[in-house]
Amino acid sequence: MESIVIGVTALLGLYMAWNIGANDVANSMADAVGSRALSVKNAVILAGICEFAGAVLVGAPVTDTVRKGIVSPDSFLSIPGITPEQAAALFVIGMTSALLSAAIWLNISSFMGLPVSTTHSIVGAVAGFGIAAAGWHSVQWGKMTQIVLSWFVSPVAGGIMAFWVFRFISRAILGQDRPTKAAIKYAPYLVAAVTASVVLATIYKGLKHVIGHITWLTPQMSIYITILLSTVAWFISRWWLGIRLKGKEKLPVAQQLDLVEQVFVPLVIITSCSVAFAHGANDVANSVGPLAAVVRVLQTGHVAQKVGIPFWVLVLGGSGIVLGLATFGYRVMQTVGTKITEITPSRGVAADLAATTTVLICTRLKLPISTTHTLVGAILGIGLARGLAGINRDVAKRIFGAWFVTVPAAAILCVLLFLVGKIYFWDVLTRVCTK
Amino acid sequence: MSIISELFGKSPFGALVEHTKKVHECVEMIKPLMEALSHENYILLRELHNKVSKLEYEADKIKHEVRGLLSRRVFMPVDKIDLENFLRCQDKIADYTEDFSVILTIRNTKIHPSLIDKFFKLVDQVFQVTGTLLTAAVELQNLAEVSFSGAESRRVLKWLDGLGEEEWKADRIARDLSRDIYKLENEVDTMTIIFYEKMILTLGQVANEAENAGDMLRNMLIR
Repeated sequence: MESIVIGVTALLGLYMAWNIGANDVANSMADAVGSRALSVKNAVILAGICEFAGAVLVGAPVTDTVRKGIVSPDSFLSIPGITPEQAAALFVIGMTSALLSAAIWLNISSFMGLPVSTTHSIVGAVAGFGIAAAGWHSVQWGKMTQIVLSWFVSPVAGGIMAFWVFRFISRAILGQDRPTKAAIKYAPYLVAAVTASVVLATIYKGLKHVIGHITWLTPQMSIYITILLSTVAWFISRWWLGIRLKGKEKLPVAQQLDLVEQVFVPLVIITSCSVAFAHGANDVANSVGPLAAVVRVLQTGHVAQKVGIPFWVLVLGGSGIVLGLATFGYRVMQTVGTKITEITPSRGVAADLAATTTVLICTRLKLPISTTHTLVGAILGIGLARGLAGINRDVAKRIFGAWFVTVPAAAILCVLLFLVGKIYFWDVLTRVCTK
Repeated sequence: MSIISELFGKSPFGALVEHTKKVHECVEMIKPLMEALSHENYILLRELHNKVSKLEYEADKIKHEVRGLLSRRVFMPVDKIDLENFLRCQDKIADYTEDFSVILTIRNTKIHPSLIDKFFKLVDQVFQVTGTLLTAAVELQNLAEVSFSGAESRRVLKWLDGLGEEEWKADRIARDLSRDIYKLENEVDTMTIIFYEKMILTLGQVANEAENAGDMLRNMLIR
């Protein structure tokens, strides 16, 4: 019986992950595909690898937040007249309905053309079930406030960072008398920055659940490793740029600018991959956070989420994302590629670098945010730095509008599903949870 | 479907450069028109007029395309009003060029031999003004690439600096030519003099609009 419940929840989690892979992943690779740095096929392959790696390697912190940070599992035990087994049953029903309602809401909104985020849906749904099951106080409002604030802060932070990164590219490289010469001098710093943000996010307090606890990998040590790898990246890119651009500074400026954009091509591929990595790390939680909670409750027979996240759960989430990408996401990738032709590799690098860093910092802070919205913020930031022509400002408004609907809609939907689920599955699950 | 792809519109700068080039093709017809007139080849003059008309129409089509890309909702790296004014000035350059060809065709005017040299001097100077504008304006796409700043922007501003002086020279030549024309008032009939004046006025407007377009381009760069 226990395995059936886990199996059903796992299927729901897989479906949610499929949704993320089908709809969101294309956005994270948009800059590389739009600037023609990558073909759609290669973008799908690279995105698959990076999303999976991000989900499995760095997916744990945010997954933790979804399974126990929004709704306090302990508050279920303090419901008057409830046994621990009944509390566990409530928690399982609730988390499962949260998954189901987030998935349904995503389908409704994509049918209506609303730019809804999976993150906002799942957070709304989980909070909704908490309120319905254990009352208003069961939601950890401090954490919830942090999360909602981070939804405002992350696109703005992405925008500000992209603005300054692009300003740097534009002033230090593109705007120089000899752009090729300037690129050899300054572009390696961008490569080092990209390397640093990805490496630091991966190894700092990470990897525990993958390779087990590595004693020598102290926070201090991981900073040293980051500095070392960034320096190596700096030297490699410097050497490569030297080969590509040396002696080209006598060419007409227009040709030099073309050449500089060309050397940004490998960089935009790397940065887009790191956005996909960051996306996998932050968004896998939307699909497997509730699943992780259900699995732990059923295995321990207790709502308390003291034990870490099962490794296979993250693997399942990562696989679901890859599956969604392979079955449906490549079509979205194609539309993205044909519609955003105005972006050039240099702009792509600035937007991606800002988005990656913002998302990875939020991931480290255990905050579930929307990668897509952060990237939209970053692209608007480049528009403000006069880097892009014809940016549609309405999209920002529509995104903002969709938030206000999503959280309550997903919450209400989840409450309804929870009440129905409680009628049908209460007895069964109480028995399952009784060890 | 994908919110990121909805975020991106089409940049107007590619089409804008196309417009610049098409307008300049119009302006390039002024000299052949003038030559046909000085040879009193009125058949060729009509053919050339048709050609200018067609070019002006094509420029108009590109203008509408650019306007379509300047919707109120999109966000531009330059002031949209400057951009619209720039487009309008370029549009007027093409309009006045067509006017010029119309003036030459509505009446079989003869150019007095003593005026021919100065007329060509004026035509050349007007071409100098529009040519300077063309050199600067075709850089718009590169300017967009460097986000309207830095060395490329300084280079274009430098070209534009020469524009005012070139236009002033054209004005001076026109004034000089006018004086010469009125000296002939006893030799040439009044109707012809009116036509001469119309020609000078229209050529002056072409140069003037080119200068205005240059000012708008400068505004885009320094803001």
